[in-house]
Amino acid sequence: MAVTVSAQDELYRQAAEIYGAALERLARAYEADVDLRRDLLQEIHVALWRSFNRFDGRCSLRTWVYRVAHNIAASHVISQRRTRAQTLVGLEELENIEDAQSGPTAVDRSHALNRLLELIQRLKPLDRNVILAYLEGMDATEIGEISGLSASNVATKIHRIKHMLSRKFQQGGSES
Amino acid sequence: MNEVENPVQKLWQEQPVEGIKMSVDEIRRRAGRFERRIARRNRRETVACVLVSGLFVYFLIGAHDVLFRIAYGLFGAGMIWVAVQLQRKGSIRNMPLTLGASNSLQFYRTELERQRDAVRNVWPWYLAPLVPGYLVLTIAYAIAFPQPVRWIGVLAFDVFVVLLFIGIWKMNQRAARCLDRMIDELNAPE
Repeated sequence: MAVTVSAQDELYRQAAEIYGAALERLARAYEADVDLRRDLLQEIHVALWRSFNRFDGRCSLRTWVYRVAHNIAASHVISQRRTRAQTLVGLEELENIEDAQSGPTAVDRSHALNRLLELIQRLKPLDRNVILAYLEGMDATEIGEISGLSASNVATKIHRIKHMLSRKFQQGGSES
Repeated sequence: MNEVENPVQKLWQEQPVEGIKMSVDEIRRRAGRFERRIARRNRRETVACVLVSGLFVYFLIGAHDVLFRIAYGLFGAGMIWVAVQLQRKGSIRNMPLTLGASNSLQFYRTELERQRDAVRNVWPWYLAPLVPGYLVLTIAYAIAFPQPVRWIGVLAFDVFVVLLFIGIWKMNQRAARCLDRMIDELNAPE
């Protein structure tokens, strides 16, 4: 069922106002190149506005916004797959990868943030979806609604994420 | 307000952002621009298709031998088929309006399957339609010029074309297998 044009515009305005910053963070996690990231963010906004034509209120506004944004971003990752040499990995593999900047070298917040971004950008889209939702402070139920993963799978992944983040960011005292 | 239970979450949520804002009018303009881009691409491919077919019609009319006419006719038809399929399977497309109703797992799987099917079935929609025209043209050429010296050149070119087709097919099969592995990972028991 389609919603009216004014309702579609209003939903978009509301979503952009509340989740605009989160969408920027999401685009940053999916695209390292500044220009491509701007394009991706614009594509997400356009898709979001278009999608509100069919918003039926069966899920929360936040779930809808993140589903649209992650789906557009995943599609972006697939389309870039052929031109990018880097192999994407799952959470399990990422946990075991020793990065060159571990521990004490990551001394300030911006350095730590860059490291976090590098880690996220190495993940496969679905795992990236989960870690981003976790970093945005969502609970397991909402992460499941957005990602489509079962509650037990989400719980396992969150456990891995927490373990990995504590190992890579807190052992060296980069975060306090 | 988002839940923060971990300092890394705080680090993530407090990172500086540009605060990019787009008005609804700007969004409408961009959506329109994207749709026009798709329409332009479709028009361009239709024009290319008409031009290529026109070229084969020109050859067909100019040919005196019936076999050459058949070959050009088949080539033209094959080209039209490939152009239509390219347009149908093209990667630039408007995302469905129901994007927010699909969770990431469903969406990601559907996208991977769409791409896998396009590359796996490259033979029936991309390569095979050109084979009949090529075969008839080779036969027509061999009959029209029955000197063995000329056949060597034709044969060498045939070998090149066959190898090219096999190369394209193998490359696409490899891409399909890679996509299959990605789909299998999504389907793996949790």
